[in-house]
Amino acid sequence: MLNSEICALFGIEYPIFQGGMAWIANANLAAAVSNAGGLGIISAMNADGDWLRAEIKKVKTLTSKPFGVNVMLMSPFVEEIARIVVEEQVPVVTTGAGNPAKFIPAWLAAKIKVVPVVPSVALAKLMERAGATAVIAEGGESGGHVGDLTTLVLVPQVSDAVQIPVIAAGGIGDGRGVAACLLLGASGVQLGTRFLLAKECEIHDNYKQKLLKASDIATIVTGKRLGHPVRALKTTMTRKFFAYEFDSNISNDELELLGAGALRKAVQEGSETEGCFMSGQIIGMLKKEESAKEIITSLMIEARAALGGATKWLK
Amino acid sequence: MVEEKIIEILAEYKGCPITEINIENSFEELGLDSLDTVEIVMSLEEAFNIELEITGELKTIKDVAAAITKLI
Repeated sequence: MLNSEICALFGIEYPIFQGGMAWIANANLAAAVSNAGGLGIISAMNADGDWLRAEIKKVKTLTSKPFGVNVMLMSPFVEEIARIVVEEQVPVVTTGAGNPAKFIPAWLAAKIKVVPVVPSVALAKLMERAGATAVIAEGGESGGHVGDLTTLVLVPQVSDAVQIPVIAAGGIGDGRGVAACLLLGASGVQLGTRFLLAKECEIHDNYKQKLLKASDIATIVTGKRLGHPVRALKTTMTRKFFAYEFDSNISNDELELLGAGALRKAVQEGSETEGCFMSGQIIGMLKKEESAKEIITSLMIEARAALGGATKWLK
Repeated sequence: MVEEKIIEILAEYKGCPITEINIENSFEELGLDSLDTVEIVMSLEEAFNIELEITGELKTIKDVAAAITKLI
């Protein structure tokens, strides 16, 4: 349906990755996406090795297609996680929240395809030199941990700077977004927020309802003061956090404490007062729950239509 | 001298006088985050024609200068 080098490279049918969202992207969601022809990704988040190993074993029982694991480099268990993806022969590893250079040689030696998330041109170049298979250029429209640059400016600049394939992420909600990213130089896309609304995505019902009601301006970035900004829905909790960031009477330790465990409280408990409901800015456009297969099918049909219709601008 | 050259590159990156940068400073003290560090390392590699590995041990300008001196 779409001609992309990404498909042959990763052994997938469509050039669509599902974002490795902490506490959210488990074996069930990853398997649903992989079975639908995309690349499903399990988030290793801050979990220990036993949890990850169990999820990997589970995903292998649910799909025979390729899948990935997202390694969060700030995890206290990162060394163990880095070893387990090798032992379990995970086909693809994506990384977030840092520079994975020291792990790349061992992963490549194990024939793992390595795809770091990069928020800048310099890191993209460094990753290419370190042997990365591709990079994910993620703009700050995304949910969760965000960089400063937007997808519109990051994707073409990264695409010009590296020879390896670039996967665009951040702010992509439908096939128009997919088509736009391909025109900006990407060979594929990664979506997180859209898959939050997949039927196979096991987040608390309060979380889903909040997403379905959210508008274009429903998100806020908190945590800049701590050096790791996060985009999430505006709630009692995130507004309070945002206000505290400008309050010099609140210490950084107190701020960290306020944020600790907040994503889990959103995902598992749906807690309005203590939860941090991560979401990208495109959420205002997303109004229904669908299966992963329906999501991927509509993305592809719309992207084809958008790309085919692009000639109307030519004179 | 390696240290002077590093300070010159950092001052240019930050857009500040070289007198504001001390070799004992860490990147963090200079207000530089991890992405700035990646960019600076790339400038240093170009300037010294080397390849530097970014590790947690390179905290201060002095550490970076020592690492570069070993490579040239």
